[in-house]
Amino acid sequence: MNTTHSRPRTRHRTAGTVLAGTLALLLAATGCSSKADGGDDGRTDGGLRTGPGVDAKTIRLGALTDLTGPYATLGKSIVQAQQMWAEETNARGGICDRKIEIVVKDHGYDVQKAVTAYADIAPDVVALPQVIGSPVVAALLDDIERAGMLTFPQAWAASLLGKDAIQVLGTTYDVDMIAAVEFLTRTKGLKKGDTVGHVYFEGDYGANALEGSTWAAKRAGLKVTGLKIKATDTDLSAQVSALRAEGVKAVLISAGPAQTASLVGVAASRGLRVPVVSSAPGFAPQLMKTPAAPALAALLNVVSAAPAVSSDLPGVKRMVASYRKKYPDSPVDSGVLSGYNAAQLMGADLEKACEAGGLTREDVVTAHRSQKNADTGLGTAQDFSDVDRPASVETYVLKPDAEAVGGVVNAEEAHTVPGVEEYLSAR
Amino acid sequence: MTGFLDNVLGGLALGAVYALVALGFVVIFKASGVLNFAHGSLLLLGGYLVAVLHDDLGFAGALALAVLATAALAGALDRFLLQRGGQDAHAAHVQTIVTIGVDIVLLTDLARRIGGDLLTLGDPWGDAVTELGPVTVADSRLAAIVVSAVVIGGVFALFRFTSWGLSLRAAAEDLEAAALMGVRLGRVRAGAWCLAGALAALAAVFLAAFPAPGLERTTGQIALNAFPAAILGGLASPAGALAGSLIIGLTEALVVGHQSELHVLGEGFGDVAPYAVMLLVLLVRPTGLFGAKGTARV
Repeated sequence: MNTTHSRPRTRHRTAGTVLAGTLALLLAATGCSSKADGGDDGRTDGGLRTGPGVDAKTIRLGALTDLTGPYATLGKSIVQAQQMWAEETNARGGICDRKIEIVVKDHGYDVQKAVTAYADIAPDVVALPQVIGSPVVAALLDDIERAGMLTFPQAWAASLLGKDAIQVLGTTYDVDMIAAVEFLTRTKGLKKGDTVGHVYFEGDYGANALEGSTWAAKRAGLKVTGLKIKATDTDLSAQVSALRAEGVKAVLISAGPAQTASLVGVAASRGLRVPVVSSAPGFAPQLMKTPAAPALAALLNVVSAAPAVSSDLPGVKRMVASYRKKYPDSPVDSGVLSGYNAAQLMGADLEKACEAGGLTREDVVTAHRSQKNADTGLGTAQDFSDVDRPASVETYVLKPDAEAVGGVVNAEEAHTVPGVEEYLSAR
Repeated sequence: MTGFLDNVLGGLALGAVYALVALGFVVIFKASGVLNFAHGSLLLLGGYLVAVLHDDLGFAGALALAVLATAALAGALDRFLLQRGGQDAHAAHVQTIVTIGVDIVLLTDLARRIGGDLLTLGDPWGDAVTELGPVTVADSRLAAIVVSAVVIGGVFALFRFTSWGLSLRAAAEDLEAAALMGVRLGRVRAGAWCLAGALAALAAVFLAAFPAPGLERTTGQIALNAFPAAILGGLASPAGALAGSLIIGLTEALVVGHQSELHVLGEGFGDVAPYAVMLLVLLVRPTGLFGAKGTARV
């Protein structure tokens, strides 16, 4: 008897608890959102529209970076370069009479941590000049689009195009690989019927690069043999055997620096001395200290939207000099250049938005999309007006050089290769 | 044909290195019933120590110190952390979970230290290669085969001819009986962990040497490839670990090296192949190639 009585009572109490809990949650939720919305959006400040991340004295930018994960070296370079830009800008009086502040969050290349970090900083920043990691960007795409927050991802897959608030800077991986195939046929004597190997990472990066190489190879009458690898594959002996069995005349690689070093080192030692062209993320200055350095210097070229940090461009020289002065112990790699460039472009967008009378997220995105010829003097000019097109289609060809700053020198200046336009309109 | 021979030799060398790792798994499992999930980070620690010490001590000195230090850490881990949990089968399960925790702690710290770097170990082989008839093979790989053969032979001799080896085999057979016969289980176990640690440090050198560009934060994950090797050989059998490792090494090299002929199996099959082979073997021989048949009382 007792038991049958007590059961409904318990259920009743549970229902009460659930109701109370739900009410509390609702209250908390409305409390939160009123803070986020009412406090910020649509406010004017001395005639200037402002929104999240902007007050009378500061403009806050966010960086979701990797300081403890696989891209820690890259992350540190970008963070330091952007910090340097913020200090220089503030020393000149800031932007729109406000100081620049960059809020840096480390996610260690862990998507879950990145999502938490984003939720943490998103209410207090106006834009994100740095987000490292394709999987991280993919996880945050919807949130960023909804918030309308201008974001420069440090990832270059074509799948990130077509989003109003997200801007891939420079070229995409497929465009780079079209340039790589063109470089091989123009300078390394590849002709119709030859086979080219393409070793690529699984995921967006490799897939997009392979798309470009396959298209360009078809156009040039070449055959592509693709070999998919993982980030943990660092001994590419078996891949080299496979490439040799295919009789490849050249190899493309879209992977990490460790894989490039292994591929080129093993190929050279096995007598497969063919030209190798890598995507930009496949090279790091540290490679020139490994046993593979001589082989890399002899066989490797890198295709990149950015020039070598050792290049003669006055803007690059000035930036490298101040970076070395400020961080004498840090290596100067391509991350420094791309990070600084991204920060400068963001600065230009903020200036333009300020002139147009507002610094809300929407104003910043509008200002960004109105830039048709953004040139920071650190490489090629970029056109941000068409969301579906890469911001630039001009590529440099770089060559490893152990003596140079950053381990590479420019082998060919920026140029647009024939066929890119055809590819972009066909896609 | 040259390609095939290349791959066979490459596969044997890879298998020889896997054998060093797989033998570590087996020795630990035999002595303590624990599957050591921290093996990969012990391996990484060994490699990291060689990388940071070789400038001052030379390669041989750095290697000796790294092997000793990794062995000592593995032994201490067992003696002062795991053995507190007791010695029966139930405790072994708990201890296996503890090794996952140890792995995370060790790996996080090492990953922080290594960061995005590519560390060279200063090994004497560099990128030299030897021509064996039509086949070209890296000297570091030949060294891996020779060193692994010698070391594994030594370990087998240790099992067979020393009182520690006898104690270990006795303990693996029946813990209680061995203890009653005066086998000091704690010491035998810790000894086995030390040995496994030393083997892991040695394997790290060959995994980071020439065909690979150097030691990375992810080098330890390669140890996971030795897992199917240990299991398909029979987890408690050292000879099985050796055979399993060679099979896995050959499978990997041949599948990846001939992937264009094998493309019906799909791209990236090389990653799956070791596990596919393991499953096939286990279907036919559920206890592994050399595994003892479990006796069950009815």
